[in-house]
Amino acid sequence: MRLKLSALKPLATLPALLALAGCDTGNYRLFHPLTAVAKVQWWATLFEAGIMSLIIVPTAILIAWFIWRYRKSANAKYDPAWSHSLVLEVLVWGVPLVIVAICSLISIRTTLDVEPYAPAVLAKNPADTAPLDIDVIATDWQWLFIYPQQHVAAIDELVVPENSVVHLRLTSTAVVNDFFIPQIAPMIDVMPGMRTEDTFDTPDPGSYTGFSADFSGAGFSWMQFHTHIVTPAGFGAWVAQAAASPVQLSYQEFTKLAQPTVNEGNKPSYFSNAASNLFDNVVTAAQAGVVYPVPDNVTKQVASLEDGGTAATTK
Amino acid sequence: MQVAIQGPWSPLLGRLTLSAIPYTNPILVGTFAVAALIALVVAGAVLYYKKLGYLWREWLTTVDHKKIGVMYIIVGLVMFFRAFVDGLMMRTQQAMAIGPHSPGVLGAQHGYLPPFHFDQVYSAHGTIMILFAATPLLTGLTNVVVPLQIGARDMAFPYMNALSLWLTTAGAILVMLSLFVGDFSSAGWVGLIPLTELPYSPGVGVDYWMWAIQISSIGTTLNAINMIVTIIKMRAPGMGWFRVPVFTWTTLSTNIIGLTAFPILGVVLALLGADRYLGTHFFTAGNGGNLMLYTNMFWIWGHPEVYFLVLPAFGIFSEIIPTFSEKPLFGYTTMVAATFAIAGISWAVWLHHFFTMGAGADVNGFFSIATMLVGIPTGVKVFNWMFTLYRGRLTFTTPMLWALAGLFLLLVGGITGMMLAIPAINYTVHNSVFVIAHFHCMVLLVAAAIFAGVVYWFPKVFGFQLDEKNGLMFFWSFITATAIVFTAMFALGFQGETRRLDYIFNPAWRPMLWTEEAGMMLYLVSIFYFLRMLYVSLRDRVPVASDPWGTARTLEFLTHSPVPFYNFAVTPQVNARDELAWRREHGLDKAQPEAFEPIHMPSNTGVPIIIGMLSLTLGFGLIWRIWWMAGFSLLAIIIAVIIRSFDKNLGYELKPEEVAAMERNLATASIIAEQPARTPLTEAEAH
Repeated sequence: MRLKLSALKPLATLPALLALAGCDTGNYRLFHPLTAVAKVQWWATLFEAGIMSLIIVPTAILIAWFIWRYRKSANAKYDPAWSHSLVLEVLVWGVPLVIVAICSLISIRTTLDVEPYAPAVLAKNPADTAPLDIDVIATDWQWLFIYPQQHVAAIDELVVPENSVVHLRLTSTAVVNDFFIPQIAPMIDVMPGMRTEDTFDTPDPGSYTGFSADFSGAGFSWMQFHTHIVTPAGFGAWVAQAAASPVQLSYQEFTKLAQPTVNEGNKPSYFSNAASNLFDNVVTAAQAGVVYPVPDNVTKQVASLEDGGTAATTK
Repeated sequence: MQVAIQGPWSPLLGRLTLSAIPYTNPILVGTFAVAALIALVVAGAVLYYKKLGYLWREWLTTVDHKKIGVMYIIVGLVMFFRAFVDGLMMRTQQAMAIGPHSPGVLGAQHGYLPPFHFDQVYSAHGTIMILFAATPLLTGLTNVVVPLQIGARDMAFPYMNALSLWLTTAGAILVMLSLFVGDFSSAGWVGLIPLTELPYSPGVGVDYWMWAIQISSIGTTLNAINMIVTIIKMRAPGMGWFRVPVFTWTTLSTNIIGLTAFPILGVVLALLGADRYLGTHFFTAGNGGNLMLYTNMFWIWGHPEVYFLVLPAFGIFSEIIPTFSEKPLFGYTTMVAATFAIAGISWAVWLHHFFTMGAGADVNGFFSIATMLVGIPTGVKVFNWMFTLYRGRLTFTTPMLWALAGLFLLLVGGITGMMLAIPAINYTVHNSVFVIAHFHCMVLLVAAAIFAGVVYWFPKVFGFQLDEKNGLMFFWSFITATAIVFTAMFALGFQGETRRLDYIFNPAWRPMLWTEEAGMMLYLVSIFYFLRMLYVSLRDRVPVASDPWGTARTLEFLTHSPVPFYNFAVTPQVNARDELAWRREHGLDKAQPEAFEPIHMPSNTGVPIIIGMLSLTLGFGLIWRIWWMAGFSLLAIIIAVIIRSFDKNLGYELKPEEVAAMERNLATASIIAEQPARTPLTEAEAH
């Protein structure tokens, strides 16, 4: 075989390099991972793209070259009977097999590393303190963050101290959402009547946008929340501010704010004295058949100027 | 037992009221005006040229696999256009509704589509593209080509073939009807659960989605049975399994998938229907329901469905690349093995559609590796096509260009697919537009194969070629548009944009969203050239030889162009894998049969279209809960089936002299020609 595959290999890393060096990547949030978990995810992305490029790029170049070389007008060597070669057929199965084997190893390794319930990458570098537990409840169409240890809660604002490990329990009142903070936390489904978990670390202070990634009805496009990683002192001040809120978060209060609501601009609100078993109560209620229906007239009003506008569902 | 529903209900009209007609929505009123105008022009033309009888006798009641295939393709193209407009509307909305200060028109706060409307548009786009465009287009192509390629007279069950077509058409009509009567589903083409349950989707939208798919998927299942039996039982003498063309192999594997996967979809939709109509709790979050059961079952159908679409596309490439390389396909045996390997693995990968459900590293790891295994046989296929080009003599007709472009789409779709198969990566791009860009590479590969196949086999069916000049412009504008739209979409995926957004909360995405919109405009240009290609070709109608390309290799190009309705005057004896190439080498490709034998043909019947239209009224009655209409339709369907089963029509026979006459004057035998009424065989004649 005179196809000189090896000569083309250095080309394989080109696309990744170009993507990184060629243009301003400030908007490309996934290119700038912050947490240990997100860094593993980005490394896996680069590695997978690189190793696949080893096979895809030479193949693309060879196809393009054959298209040019063997065009009819070129009068290149024509072999109308050639349709079988044992060596090549072993290779066409063997090469993808090897690549898939390598990718499988990477897959298993990184899947364990970033497993949302208990990421191995965080177990290797245990933080000094115990994880900060936060309960997350997705409603139609807001996010409620309950701090069981601090007995406070907030809507559409997640504030965590730096240099800690944050452990989330998540559920939903009505339909399925996806919890996601690019650069920080892996995506995880949020399902009614069920509990999922997500874990991330907080190396540096900063502000980020989290959002639902899975369509959940008319208010879905407005379902973001602010994420702030702050200093421990800042966290203490934030908790104190929330604890001073006159609104106490009982289950009865929760059932009111869990009605379909679009929070335009994601304006945060705070609650004191959050019931410590609220999360479990919400899960149990959903299992027992409690729903928060979205009638058609509510769906029709979201972000619509017909039929009386948006007032009915926005805050 | 029946559940209470919101809003009024009357025994006569069910949930249907005047407010279901969206006469206040200017977009829908405009659409209706255009649709009504087209319908009037078509109906007027049929009546003016007195073609109503012809249309009924030769097309609507036909059992000819080629005519059924052509009608499948027409349905598919109409729906393809509809769903493209949906895509254009989505891209335009996202290009307009960026940031909190973006203006709104037509009653929307941002852009021109409020979520209520936008969500229906994106749900319709996906549902139609997959189930009512790609599926009928591919079914149409396999219907036309496979019996010709294996030297058969028709499908194994011609009547059931027509029934499949009209059930699919009934589903397509229901989807279109939801534009003008009521609403379509807002819960995505996958039917996001529990959004599709009554508390969150109390209207008729989900019912339209559910019954349209249910009815058409019965058609697809019946077609799968028909294809499998045809390929196993009706191959011409001499065509052993290792002489079966690769397109027929892929059709066989794809229909095995269809036969085993579509019933699951039927069951899952029926259970959802029970939840919505009878108040059961199969998929509710509470009361013992399990919503992830729906998601699992949907994708146990949904993932094989992806290969149901892509395998025939691979088959089309495997026909076209050898023809225009003037060489046999490289590695025929491994190609067939790879086809069945893909079909087999397709059953073990469904969970990768929801790696984020929190199943744990073991489950995700298993499905990750299973998914990546698909890459091996797919890689084999790419290499085999590549080596088919090697030392070939390549000519770049439009089918060849479409096929080659499809290879590059497969490479991009492949690398991104392998990335998505790794859970650690998936946790960052799942439900983002990165996934959308990835699977559009794959479905546009299918679209490329469909266009390649239509151009490649069109002259075989109609006896004249599609115009190459406009075809080239169509190809280049379409492919450039694809590159622009989906490169930008991959970029947006890395920027963290999620799918299904009616309103764009991050203004940083504006440049790429506008790039996408520019690409969509180029798609509009490609539609212009597609229509011009059809117009110029129909106007000029340059007749072609039996093998219009001169280098075709398989049996279907042995018979005449346009193909006679009886396919082959004499059933050919197959001598080689690439039969036509073999005959050309041995100087036999122009040989004509010396004597003709009687040909036994099936008679046309109106029962399939009647059952199809009754399925339409059954679906409409169920959607609007007009129980008398649903009950009457169901009863009428049962009666029609019983009547048909007592039908003693044994088909008719073409006499040898009749065949000889038609072989001398082929225009009289083409599928366009009107045939004289022929008397069915009597019981005595049949024996």
